[in-house]
Amino acid sequence: MTDWNTLSDAEFRKEVRGFFEAEYPEELRNLPHRPKFAEIEHWHVKLHAKGWVAPAWPAEFGGMGLNAAKLLIFYEEQQRWGVNRGRDMGIQMVGPLIIKFGTQDQKDYWLPRILSCEDIWCQGYSEPGAGSDLANLRTRAEADGKDFVINGQKIWTTMAHDASHIFMLVRTDPDTPKKQQGISFLLAPMDQAGVDVRTITTLSGETEFCEVFFDNARTPKENLVGELNKGWTMAKALLSFERIFIGSPSLAQNALVQLESFARGRGAFDDPVFRDRFAQAALDVEDHAALYSRFADQLKRGETLGADVSMLKIWVTECFQRITELMIEAAGPDGGTIGPLQVGNVNVDVLASFYKARPTTIYGGSNEIQRNILSKAVLGLPG
Amino acid sequence: MLRESARTLFERAGSAGRSRMLRDAEGGWDADMVRELAEAGVFGVTVPEENGGLGMGLAAGGVIAEEVGRVIAPEPVVMTVGLSLGLLRRLCPHHALMEKIINGETVLAAAWQERGPNGGPAEASCRYADGKLTGGKAWIVGASGAQGFLVVAEGDAGPVLVLAEATADALSIDKRTQADGSSMGELSFSSTPAEQLAEGPAVRDALNEAISDATALTAAELVGVSDSAFEITLEYIKTREQFDKPIGSFQIIQHRAVDLNVMREVAQAGVREVLAQMDSETDPKRRAKLASRAKARAATAAKKITRDAIQLHGAVGYTDEFDIGLYLNRALVLSAWLGDDAYHRRIWFDAREEEGAVQ
Ligand SMILES: Cc1cc2nc3c(=O)[nH]c(=O)nc-3n(C[C@H](O)[C@H](O)[C@H](O)COP(=O)(O)OP(=O)(O)OC[C@H]3O[C@@H](n4cnc5c(N)ncnc54)[C@H](O)[C@@H]3O)c2cc1C
Repeated sequence: MTDWNTLSDAEFRKEVRGFFEAEYPEELRNLPHRPKFAEIEHWHVKLHAKGWVAPAWPAEFGGMGLNAAKLLIFYEEQQRWGVNRGRDMGIQMVGPLIIKFGTQDQKDYWLPRILSCEDIWCQGYSEPGAGSDLANLRTRAEADGKDFVINGQKIWTTMAHDASHIFMLVRTDPDTPKKQQGISFLLAPMDQAGVDVRTITTLSGETEFCEVFFDNARTPKENLVGELNKGWTMAKALLSFERIFIGSPSLAQNALVQLESFARGRGAFDDPVFRDRFAQAALDVEDHAALYSRFADQLKRGETLGADVSMLKIWVTECFQRITELMIEAAGPDGGTIGPLQVGNVNVDVLASFYKARPTTIYGGSNEIQRNILSKAVLGLPG
Repeated sequence: MLRESARTLFERAGSAGRSRMLRDAEGGWDADMVRELAEAGVFGVTVPEENGGLGMGLAAGGVIAEEVGRVIAPEPVVMTVGLSLGLLRRLCPHHALMEKIINGETVLAAAWQERGPNGGPAEASCRYADGKLTGGKAWIVGASGAQGFLVVAEGDAGPVLVLAEATADALSIDKRTQADGSSMGELSFSSTPAEQLAEGPAVRDALNEAISDATALTAAELVGVSDSAFEITLEYIKTREQFDKPIGSFQIIQHRAVDLNVMREVAQAGVREVLAQMDSETDPKRRAKLASRAKARAATAAKKITRDAIQLHGAVGYTDEFDIGLYLNRALVLSAWLGDDAYHRRIWFDAREEEGAVQ
């Protein structure tokens, strides 16, 4: 087993880049939509054989055991080459939680299945009444013999129609003084009579998220992760790495590359106003990357990130949106046209980028919520 | 009066819900609705009475366009009032086509722009000779429902306006789906038969005037889009609760809503003023400058309002099930058509400089 952390950063980067460039299927580069597992299975098989499915997991559980510095390099290379993240909710969210809070049996059973994608996971947190106010969730799980019985509804569950399992926050004690108490973290199989999935079409016509209804669905008691009624704190603990991941420069950087080739091809740079707006966006991306590495360095030194990491997400998502808006501007009379637009011998799907950028300010903690966090926890403003 | 009757007509027909059904069906418009609009005099609103219209001017056209925008109706109102009748009433007001269009019996799309090798707009090179068209035209709104195309081409003695039937031989139509489900057409002609309607420099002048009209009317349509998008959002933030309160009780949301409302009022006032001024302005350059002012404002406002509307809705705003997304998509399409806000600010500034130089 290789200890990747002993390589220099440059050596490691070369290794990762070489693998992606040689092995990643060309037709999957920069996929404009979220793929179903079947579409990327051939890539997953390769990645699994290489032992690279879970870069962040410790090697003893089948991961690459990367430290923070190496991990960031891995993700940078992944994004640089347009490598799809795959169906990674198991890898990114459930796995780390089980590693941190799960029992030995849970680790032995679930982790290999996550790595092999024998189980494919979706994230069941949000509910119709619990979006920004997640602690308001009402989906109930009640003990019944060897099982929990689940009743309620989840919504906005990304790719639930292509998942075999759901990890969820459920209410296990409805009578607590604070809403954050009485919430547990539960794993459940989707393939059962009590679980009903309905896809929701997005405004761009994709089906990437779903509603999931639970009507006396069952899951064995051993699928409770961590302590009963302690799910909220556990879910929060998971957020630390996710928060820097969601603020990473990659989406905006990739969009900027597309904008540049498209705008150049269409002659938009002949206009000094457009040049200025492009330069503004490009500098917004560069300087964000500088701020990002400050936080990344903190992680590399083994420090935990503070609430101030929220600023990364605010900046980069709004910048991403502006870049895609500039693409539309450069498209001129094609600005309302669905599908790839040709410039020279490249195709740029302007509207796909625009649509992809819209919800980034909504999910992962909306930008309004991030601003609330910054004003209170960082600036110390009252209220 | 006009506003109420247009609003009632659309509401009776089913408002935005009807538009959604049409989008889901085929993405076209409803022929019965076109006839109903014709009966109400909508298409002939700016055509002089002696040519069979209502003789009311652009301001009245704008009132109707706002109502079209409010319910995101797919019927070709602005295209017909601004472009096809805008061209015909100036160039051949006695042609039998006028009556057919005003009566809603036929819909014609206008084709004048061309696509260059880099995919963007290019100098026109489409030719008309011996009764036949050769070349191509791009960005034709209404191409999938129109019975024919009013094509501006280069003839032997300067520009010509010709009519090519949609079913003509040697005409191919490439349809490109738009964000709102409508389609825009690219035409290619290879000796396609077409009937000449007008020729000479008057054709170019009439085209420029018609474009100004259509640009200003599109601005009015965008004002309607913004109005509804804002109203839907206002209602949503009053009712959606998080943290045990309506989200509209959070100050950041309140200020955001206020800003959007100010923006919408400014756009409405500006666009309505432009339309009224265009009715009393005869100088084509000044009319074009006014139209640019309207489109620049209306597109900026509609884009901002519809995008913020999605944000304020949260995830439901990103679904197709809520109507708000339909407004975002219509705003995308109308902003891009006939020049977006950045384009029109440029045009407006150039026109202003030119005026300054003359004085
Ligand atoms: C594309 C996409 C994929 C998603 N995938 C998943 C998934 O896989 N699993 C899952 O569980 N969830 C998922 N979500 C849901 C996501 O987590 C929620 O959308 C998010 O938490 C916001 O909740 P909401 O949509 O209900 O909006 P609301 O909370 O209703 O917010 C509406 C508006 O009000 C604002 N607002 C709310 N509270 C405040 C406040 N206190 N102060 C100021 N402004 C406020 C918000 O910022 C927003 O603008 C996804 C969402 C999207 C858009």
